[in-house]
Amino acid sequence: MSEPLSKIPSGFRYYSAREAQARRFVETTSMNVFAGWSYEEIVTPTVDYYSLFEQGMGETEAQRSFRLVDVDGRLLAFRPDVTTSIARAAETLFAKRARPLRLCYSATVFRQHTQSKADWRRELTQIGCELLGKNTTAGDMEILAIATELLQRLQLNRSFVITLSDAEIFSGIVENLGLDAKARDELRRLVDIRALSELELFLNSYTTAEESAAFANLIQLSGRSEIFARARQVITNTRSRAALDRLESLWRIIESLGYSSNFEIDLGDVSRLDYYTGLTFKIYVGGLGVRLGSGGRYDHLTGKFGRDEPAVGFVVELDALAELLAKEEQSNLSNQTENVLVSSGVDDACTVFQKALKLRAANRQVRIDGEGT
Amino acid sequence: MAQLTIAIPKGRLEAETLDLFAAAGLCLPAHRDPRQLACLDESGETRFIFVKPSDVPVYVEHGIADCGVVGRDVLFESEADLLQPLSLEIGACRIAVAAPAELPENGHSMLRVATKYPRIASRYFGERGQPVEIIQLSGSVELAPVLGLADCIVDLVETGRTLRENGLKVTEVIAASAAQLVVNRASYQLKATVIAKLISALKGVVRLRAVARASRP
Repeated sequence: MSEPLSKIPSGFRYYSAREAQARRFVETTSMNVFAGWSYEEIVTPTVDYYSLFEQGMGETEAQRSFRLVDVDGRLLAFRPDVTTSIARAAETLFAKRARPLRLCYSATVFRQHTQSKADWRRELTQIGCELLGKNTTAGDMEILAIATELLQRLQLNRSFVITLSDAEIFSGIVENLGLDAKARDELRRLVDIRALSELELFLNSYTTAEESAAFANLIQLSGRSEIFARARQVITNTRSRAALDRLESLWRIIESLGYSSNFEIDLGDVSRLDYYTGLTFKIYVGGLGVRLGSGGRYDHLTGKFGRDEPAVGFVVELDALAELLAKEEQSNLSNQTENVLVSSGVDDACTVFQKALKLRAANRQVRIDGEGT
Repeated sequence: MAQLTIAIPKGRLEAETLDLFAAAGLCLPAHRDPRQLACLDESGETRFIFVKPSDVPVYVEHGIADCGVVGRDVLFESEADLLQPLSLEIGACRIAVAAPAELPENGHSMLRVATKYPRIASRYFGERGQPVEIIQLSGSVELAPVLGLADCIVDLVETGRTLRENGLKVTEVIAASAAQLVVNRASYQLKATVIAKLISALKGVVRLRAVARASRP
């Protein structure tokens, strides 16, 4: 028995009318912002070797991809992310180009298995940019400024929050406590789900009850500049301290730019730690139950394809953004001129097209209506 | 408009949960129609929605509810991606394997397991390398071994009475379960102040109750 042709595979869908318009609007607006910061567009292959993504994203993430076998028996995958492919290009195609490299993209990615049930899509469009070859706070700030401008330009009628942390804070703590891989994963899990009492219990076997409680308290809440003083009382190892200093100098720039109402420090953000090596951030928008985007510094990714090179970037989910915008009735999703009428049913085809061509030459919108045509 | 939406599980945990929230300062109106599926608290700042326990993680993960209360059994089974900041210490019970007699120490033969928790069961036996056939049921799981549908069951055990009545006993405890406060990841950041207030109020109540329990002779 064959499936009816009306059925669409789960996780895929059509977009039309206002939704399609919203998607185009998000894409155009974002690409214009990237261009405004001198980012060059890059189009990566839709299908690539599975091993590339396994190296770049780690096994767990890569295994979510749609996989297929090439004619020579090698495993291929529909790209589950874009960053990995960009990192490889940076060390191969663009190896000799002057640094920093500024690259941006808008591309569909595919996942056979979704990460959570709230995220049903198996075809997603990601919009993002990567800054390669710049290992400075200014580089981190550039990415955050672009993300902020992008959200502002979309005129979302809702508040957004970007939460900041640094992967080295957690790594320093793990090193300091002398945790093995299994204990590290457990600590990461407890911090990630903010299971504070369990976290305290867990830490009690490695450090004093006082320190455990202070640490649990620290990751409980996000906050602003006051977080740094509190964090330094609890976290004393050199590695984490250096990360805190770095984060604080970034925070000072954010404050001086007047951005701080949209930013928060969240030391409990410990996701994807194998990938990130410095700044990490997440983007949340009011009215959206899921994360809108994320980013950070990943200085060791390019090393898998050539040499280690500092890199920082971010990605936002076009689908979620467009969905929000399409729902906001007052938002203007088009840069089009006024809707101009075109033809009437009484004209013959020749006249109709003469009129239409004239209007098009003036860049007006036309729509050919009428029975006769 | 309500600042916060909280999903409350109907049934086993409902009364205890509402009691806990009331002690934390979130009271439902005295004359609530029990058939009403959503209602505001007295201050009008919090909306409670009443849903099936297994649907709590779904509402919270989608961000329709900002927070929810759910048993760890349901949470483990759902594998939902949620924050779990506080154990509420109510509805304590165990997720356990129960069988008519001691399970034979035979790792080679296929064990038939009847359960409402297929994921928990398959993870538990999988870790032990025990091959199992999971038979998913939606209720009266205790009947399965009695009638020969399964060799054993994986189920929630509170007092053990139902098990005894069906001639079963707990052979292994998989995990302790209690009600857990869960929070949507985006809400946790976007409504940080209100949620922090809620967590700390609930934590206060949970602590007081623990102290009261400990001082009881």
